[in-house]
Amino acid sequence: MGKRLAILAILTLGAGLLSGCGGSEEGSGESAQTTPDGKVKLTAIMTKHPLTQEFSKMKWLQEAEERAGVEIEWQEVSADWGQKKGALLAGGDIPDLIIGPNAITDADYAQFPGLFEDLTPLIESGAPNVQTMFGEKPETKAISTQLDGKIYGLPKYQRFWPETTTRQFINKQWLDNLGLKAPTNWDELYEVLVAFKEKDANGNGDANDEIPMDFAPSGTGGFGPFMPTVLLGSQGITLTDNAGQGYFVEDGQVKNFFTDERYKDLVAFLHKCYAAGLINTEVFTQDYTKYQSVARGSGDTAAVGFTWGWEVTDRVGNTLAPQYESLAPLKENAASSDPLSWTYDYNSLNYGVNMVSLASTSKNKEAAVKFINELYDPKVSMQVLFGSLGTNIKDNGDGTYAVLPPGDKAMDPGTWKWTTTWADNGPMYIADSLKLELGTDMQSVGAQTEPLKAALDGIDKEKDVLPSIFIKYSVEDNNTMTLNNTSMLSLTLSKWAEWITKGGVEEQWDGYVDSVKKTGIDQNIEIIQKYYDDYMSKN
Amino acid sequence: MVPKNPYEHPVNLRAYKRKKPTVLNTFRRDYQLWIMIFPAIVVIFIFNYIPMYGIQLAFRDYNFAKGLTGGEWRGLFYFNQFFESYQFADLMKNTIVISLSTVVLSFPAPIILALLINQLRWKRAKKALQTTVYLPHFISIVVMVGLLNVLLSPNSGVIGHLLQSMGLGDVNLLGSTSTFVPVYVLSEIWQHCGWNSIIYLAALSTVDPQLYDASKIDGASRWQTIRNIEIPALIPTIIILFVLSMGSVLSTGFEKIFLMQNSLNLPVSEVISTYVYKIGIVSNQFSYSAAIGLFNTLINFFFLYTMNLVARKTSETSLW
Amino acid sequence: MQLVQKKQKEVTHKRSLGEWVFDGAVFAICLLIFLSIVYPLYFVVIASISNSTLVSTGQVTIFPKDISFFGYSEIFKDQRIWTGYGNTILYTVLGTAVNLLFTLPAAYVLSRQEFRARRFIMFAFVVTLFFGGGLIPTYLLMKDLHMLNTMWVFILPFSVNVYNLIIARSFFESSIPKELYEAAAMDGCSHFRYFGSVVLPLSKAIVSVIGLYYLVAHWNDFFTGLIYIRSNDLQPLQIVLRDILLSNQVFSQGAGSGGAAGGYAQQYADQVKYGVIIVSTLPILLVYPFLQKYFDKGVMIGSVKG
Repeated sequence: MGKRLAILAILTLGAGLLSGCGGSEEGSGESAQTTPDGKVKLTAIMTKHPLTQEFSKMKWLQEAEERAGVEIEWQEVSADWGQKKGALLAGGDIPDLIIGPNAITDADYAQFPGLFEDLTPLIESGAPNVQTMFGEKPETKAISTQLDGKIYGLPKYQRFWPETTTRQFINKQWLDNLGLKAPTNWDELYEVLVAFKEKDANGNGDANDEIPMDFAPSGTGGFGPFMPTVLLGSQGITLTDNAGQGYFVEDGQVKNFFTDERYKDLVAFLHKCYAAGLINTEVFTQDYTKYQSVARGSGDTAAVGFTWGWEVTDRVGNTLAPQYESLAPLKENAASSDPLSWTYDYNSLNYGVNMVSLASTSKNKEAAVKFINELYDPKVSMQVLFGSLGTNIKDNGDGTYAVLPPGDKAMDPGTWKWTTTWADNGPMYIADSLKLELGTDMQSVGAQTEPLKAALDGIDKEKDVLPSIFIKYSVEDNNTMTLNNTSMLSLTLSKWAEWITKGGVEEQWDGYVDSVKKTGIDQNIEIIQKYYDDYMSKN
Repeated sequence: MVPKNPYEHPVNLRAYKRKKPTVLNTFRRDYQLWIMIFPAIVVIFIFNYIPMYGIQLAFRDYNFAKGLTGGEWRGLFYFNQFFESYQFADLMKNTIVISLSTVVLSFPAPIILALLINQLRWKRAKKALQTTVYLPHFISIVVMVGLLNVLLSPNSGVIGHLLQSMGLGDVNLLGSTSTFVPVYVLSEIWQHCGWNSIIYLAALSTVDPQLYDASKIDGASRWQTIRNIEIPALIPTIIILFVLSMGSVLSTGFEKIFLMQNSLNLPVSEVISTYVYKIGIVSNQFSYSAAIGLFNTLINFFFLYTMNLVARKTSETSLW
Repeated sequence: MQLVQKKQKEVTHKRSLGEWVFDGAVFAICLLIFLSIVYPLYFVVIASISNSTLVSTGQVTIFPKDISFFGYSEIFKDQRIWTGYGNTILYTVLGTAVNLLFTLPAAYVLSRQEFRARRFIMFAFVVTLFFGGGLIPTYLLMKDLHMLNTMWVFILPFSVNVYNLIIARSFFESSIPKELYEAAAMDGCSHFRYFGSVVLPLSKAIVSVIGLYYLVAHWNDFFTGLIYIRSNDLQPLQIVLRDILLSNQVFSQGAGSGGAAGGYAQQYADQVKYGVIIVSTLPILLVYPFLQKYFDKGVMIGSVKG
């Protein structure tokens, strides 16, 4: 018995290795293949949104492949791309195309030289649609060009998105119930929140179930949308793309608000609110799901008075949405004459870098570029973003189009879009000349941005916006900044939470600023300033 | 008194001591053993030893074109970078606090649980308990942390409410520098204690029933039976597992801590593994992560080695 | 020893007061442990069929509320789940078999005091618990062995887990009477036969434990699929479930840049999260009762005699 076991063991091992060796065809694009009907076979990875359906069900994609004369074997990745990517790139055998938002980063192109094809000559010879994009929107060419002048990844431009991610909402019904006016500055906001807390604002008989103010949990990696950092706009600071790591530009100078006195004032104000019980006590420990759930209240009884979100039905649900109204930016105090600002996210919402890359080992580069060119066709791009003509978009026949309401009545337009097509994750060029009527979700986002309009319009795009997305850093500078930022955020974000909940910002501020400087924040500011100046001088 | 465990007799090697064995002799004598261990050696050599050249990455820059071994030699550059980094002291402190308290508290728990289960007289209760305690092991980390968030929430969680009613409220268990480690360790015990007790239950199952009967005849109390029969039967397993656990003094899980982190507990919850993740995710810091990993490994291995030495000197059980 | 056996039947059972107190205390503690473990598990079950908004705001505690099976229908709607189940069962069964086949004989060999290379080999094995080349060299190795995107990558690599090997070895060392081999060797019994017909039957408990460890490791393995597998047809269950899980957790990114995927799925996010746990765990839970009987007191000696 034992002998047989041992022999069996050895045999299994041998057989396993042999059969492993037998299956050597790994389906990469190493050999030029064509299908029986003459189409070129390509392989591709796409990092899609997890909600997105299988690609074989997307009519527009089938048509685009058909027109380009290719048949693509897709690998659809919706999770853990970062982990997968490292081994894939280091292993060196990548598929013909890699598609997805910044799926291959600038750092990857630098780290793995020779793995990806410089698209410049191929675009000139075979991608007129990409040329059109570069011609009409020169910045799209700028963001695709690496420091060495080569183009490895192509961008997207989706045009319709608003200038900011974050909108500010207040429960109008509560204000009316208590006979209050909408606040216009921090002091008034404080008064309103106190009233929300002390009185039965939602009128359900319980004076203690109101959460006057709630904001999205600030994680440990930096700030994101829907956080009170937008209030820095009250003091004239313009955040760009949420300024997750605190960097912003003011009058051409790169700064970081973590060591700015105005940030200290904001923290002090928030602590005053927290100490008075005006902020959700779980604001730093809840996850985003809970943040959203809590705001949905119960039935038609709202739970939250003042908060931030993308769009009001998304934020509080359809039932409660009518109770809320979008609120204009607040002044710091009644006497304040600072110009009001807000977080300016237009660039990150409308442009994307490195949406599609081509392997230099690909045997079918012409065919692949032909397919890429299809994606940037105005009509195809529109379908990349909103879904197939017929099911998702209506062709009015006069050269104009309209986004159709969801085919599944239970879904909101946003979910429907993400379910049926590549949506924002795809490469695309939505030309400014395209006549397309948007769906209800985008329309209401537009309407809810109105109160912020004055502030957003007042932003000096030349001198107060940090064009992060357009700036390419060298590998060394990028590494230095990452190391410094990791240490800096670990310190600053925990202080942020500690000061708001427990106080102490006034007493600890000076020592804190010294510590933050030790993490290398000035070095980072210097690096960013250098690149920023360089970028501004060229554009 | 209770008879000694009969299996603890020293090994009788008489048969092998007669003549001094030469290499060839022992090989001829033990060829069957060599055959039996051969597959394991092959597998470990191929899959564990061959890739080990990658350790060099800790001393080199990563160079894609020239391969893993072709990058510029940087010596201890990346190690120094870590030692000199702003967070080094905090990272070390947090990592050691978390991993040591995990080892110290969660090591004895499954032993006690196994002994308890073994003492349950009511067969059905025993079976029910045994099948329940190991279930939490299967809960994935994402869901585990989700569960903690829901149950411990001070406003809406069952346990949060429970603590409040006991007068211990007003502490947000999820967001406090003083409760992070206890919550982490206790939830680890809750989740893995039952699963880890399986090995001890298996060891207990090998105790000769005659020993129990004998101790009963001698009028030993239940407590004495545990002390004199059951614990000795567990000792070899305990020693081995303890030595192995010493090999993780500087390693904490990554995912759970990362998911449990928030800006309130960050001062105590930032550990080496989460730091490596944060620096590695943005830019490909292959060499730096490799250096930190190797530093970690060396410390762990040192502790295991020392502990194993102690075990070998003081008992007959050791890893090698 | 032998004398004791004779007296076995004469022992009359009488429980003293001390015994009663002891048993009572044991029972009470066990009950407490049982409850503290069962409640969160029960919570997972009710949360998987309750409205997620109510769950996360703490309104579901004892009974499920606003019951719907949306989470489960969402999980089973994905056809890949059945392929995933099939693959995982195949990898688990085959993988565990290979694991045991490689690990147990090796553990036996390393438990033999006369095997002179044991200390060296043991040390060489333990080193691998700590020092590894990292993901990239391992990936390149799999590529060179042509194991990428094949089922073998789930089965052969790392088929000897050193941790399990050590546990098995120390069990063989401490629990198998040394005299047995001497007696067997005198009868001219080879190591093969001794291992197969004496050691293994005596070690059902440890074989079950090690088997269970391997089984569960294969069952829960998602990393292998993530890194080494490209084809959807080869993906194990855990990858499929992780995709489903994440597709319902997308909102944590913030609706703005993630697209306003809001209200609709929000309501069911947690249902899917908890449902996934049940779907992925249930099959493996069915295995445990079959193994459990080998951990009962005195099984080993019984099997020798019988």
